[in-house]
Amino acid sequence: MINVLEAELLKVRTRWMPYVLFLMMVGGAAVNMWLAGYLEWKQDPSAEFSGQAYRTFVFPYSIAVLLDSGQFWGSAIFVGILTSSCVSTEYNWGTVRQVLVRGQSRAGYLAVKIAALAILCAAFLLAALAVGLFFSVWATSLADAPITLDVRDGPSLPEIGLMIFRAALGILPYGLLAFMLSTVGRSTALGIGGTFGYIIAEGIGVAILQGIGGLAADLSDVALGRHAAGLVAANRIGSGEYNSMAFREFADPAKLPDPNVGALVILLYCLVFLAITFTVFLRRDIRVHQ
Amino acid sequence: MISSAASPPVLRTTGLTKRYGKRLALCDLTLAVERGRVYGFLGPNGSGKTTAISLILGLLSSTAGHTELFGLDTRAHLAPALKRVGAVLEGVDFYPHLSGRDNMRICGAISGGVEESRVEEVLETVGLSGRARDKVRGYSMGMRQRLALAGALLHDPELLILDEPTNGMDPAGMREFRDLIRELGRGGKTVFVSSHLLNEVQQMCDEVGIVKEGRLIAQRSVTDLLEGGRLELRATDTEAALDVLRSLDFVHGVTREGDLLVVDARHDRAAEISRALAGRGVYLHELHPQENTLEDFFLEVTTEGEAA
Repeated sequence: MINVLEAELLKVRTRWMPYVLFLMMVGGAAVNMWLAGYLEWKQDPSAEFSGQAYRTFVFPYSIAVLLDSGQFWGSAIFVGILTSSCVSTEYNWGTVRQVLVRGQSRAGYLAVKIAALAILCAAFLLAALAVGLFFSVWATSLADAPITLDVRDGPSLPEIGLMIFRAALGILPYGLLAFMLSTVGRSTALGIGGTFGYIIAEGIGVAILQGIGGLAADLSDVALGRHAAGLVAANRIGSGEYNSMAFREFADPAKLPDPNVGALVILLYCLVFLAITFTVFLRRDIRVHQ
Repeated sequence: MISSAASPPVLRTTGLTKRYGKRLALCDLTLAVERGRVYGFLGPNGSGKTTAISLILGLLSSTAGHTELFGLDTRAHLAPALKRVGAVLEGVDFYPHLSGRDNMRICGAISGGVEESRVEEVLETVGLSGRARDKVRGYSMGMRQRLALAGALLHDPELLILDEPTNGMDPAGMREFRDLIRELGRGGKTVFVSSHLLNEVQQMCDEVGIVKEGRLIAQRSVTDLLEGGRLELRATDTEAALDVLRSLDFVHGVTREGDLLVVDARHDRAAEISRALAGRGVYLHELHPQENTLEDFFLEVTTEGEAA
C-alpha cells in the first residue's frame, strides 16, 4: 500500500524527463568546474583573470560558485521544465479528473503535487551539487591545492547548510511561478516559456532601470531576481570574483538588496503565486480533453 | 421515486443546471437513485449526460441546483462523499509511462489506501491480470476501459458512476461488463450508468432516465416499460377482425396498417383473440407477438415533436 505522496513521487520518478534534466545540470556543473575553472586557470596560472578561474573550481570556493550557477539554471531549466511538464500533463492525459473524482480535495491535490515536486527537485539538485563538488575536489587535487574548509572566510558545515538553503530559497519562487503558469494555462509551453520569459524580461528590465539610476534603480529592487541575486551573493566566500554560469551581473553585495529582506520578499512572491494558483484551480471547471 | 426517511437516496440531484455563456448544457435535472438500483442514463450525443455526471462528481460547478450523495450535500461534503463513489469517466486516461498495476496503486493511494491484494483482485475481475505489468501506453481502448472499471471498483465503493463504460470494448468484453454490473446490482451496489447502447442498458438496468437537449424528458422503471407488448396479425377479413378486436375488453387499442392489425394487448391473450376471431368466422393468416423495447421507448420520447 502506498500513500498519496508516494503515488505522486511514483508518477514523476518513473519518467525520463528528470533524469535528462539532471544530466543537463551535471553537464553545466562540469563546464563550470572544468572549462570555466580548472582548464582556464591551467592555461596560464599567471594571467590577469587566473585568480577568478582559480576561485571557480577550488574547494571550498566552488560551493558558492555551484550554488550561484545552480540557483539560476536550476530555476530555469530543472525546476521550471519539470514542474510545468508534471502539472500540465495531468490535464493532457485526463488524469487530473481521475484524481479529483476519487475524493482528493483540490487543495490537497495541489499541496501534494507541490510537496512531491519539491522533494524530487531537491533530491536531483542536491545530487547535481554533489557531482559538481566531486568535480571541484578532483580539480583541486589536480591543481595541488589543499582540500579543506579552513581557508580565509571559509564556511563551517552549518554555514554550508545555510548556503544551500539560501540557494534553494532563490529557486523556490521560480518553481512556484512555473507551477502557477502551467496550472492556470494548462500548458507545459506556457509554464516553461513563461518562466524563461520572466527571468529574461526581468534581467533586461533591471539592467535598464539600473542604467537609468535614481528612483528607477530603486524600483528595480522590487524585482524577484534582484532578491535572489542578493541571497546568492550572501553565499560568497571572500571578496574575489569567480566565473559563474548564471546570466547576471557579478554585482557588489553592497549594491544588492539585503539577503534577509530578500528572503521575506521572495516568500511574499511565493504567497502571491500560490494564492493565484489555488484560487484559479479551486474554482475551475474541469472538463474532458482540456 | 420515494425515499424512506431512514435511508436517503444514494444519489439525488435537485434542479441541477449548467450554463456555458448562452448555451444551456443541462437544465433543472432532478432525479434520485435508490440504494441497490442500476439506473441507466440515456440520451443522444450532446444531450448533457457527461455534463450531468461531471456536475455530480464535482468536476464542474453548477449554475443552479445541487447534488446529494448518500444524503450529503456535495457543496459542503464533496471529498468525503466521493470516497464512497467509484467512477469511470468518458475520456479519462491513465499515466501512459506506468504499468496497469502501478496505475491501480496510484488510484488506490488517492482513494485512501488499498492493499496490494485488492489491486490484484480487481485486475483479475476485469481480465487484465496477464497484462498488469505492461505499460498503459500499449493498451487498446477496450483495455483502458477495463482498467478504468478496475480503478472504479478498487476501493469497493457503494455507488458506481459510469460514463459510456463500454466504449471501445469488444462484444465479449461488453457481455462480461453487463454481467458484472448485474452482479454488482444484486450485491447491493448502486450503479448510475450512461450509455447509448440501449440493448445493454435494457438488459442491466432497473430504471432509466432519458435526457435530451439538457432536459430530463422521461424516467421509467424498465420492468414497466417492457411490460405489455403488442400483437401483430393478418386475418382473412380485416374489417370483420377489426370489429371483433374492438369488442374485446382486454384489447386496449387496435391500429391498422393496410391489412396488418397491431393489437395493444398482452401476449398471453393471443389464444383468446384467435378463439374470438374464429367464433365470428374470421381466421388468422399470421400472428406475431411483438416485445416492447427500450429502443422503441427511447426513439418515441426523443423524436417526439420532431416530425412536426
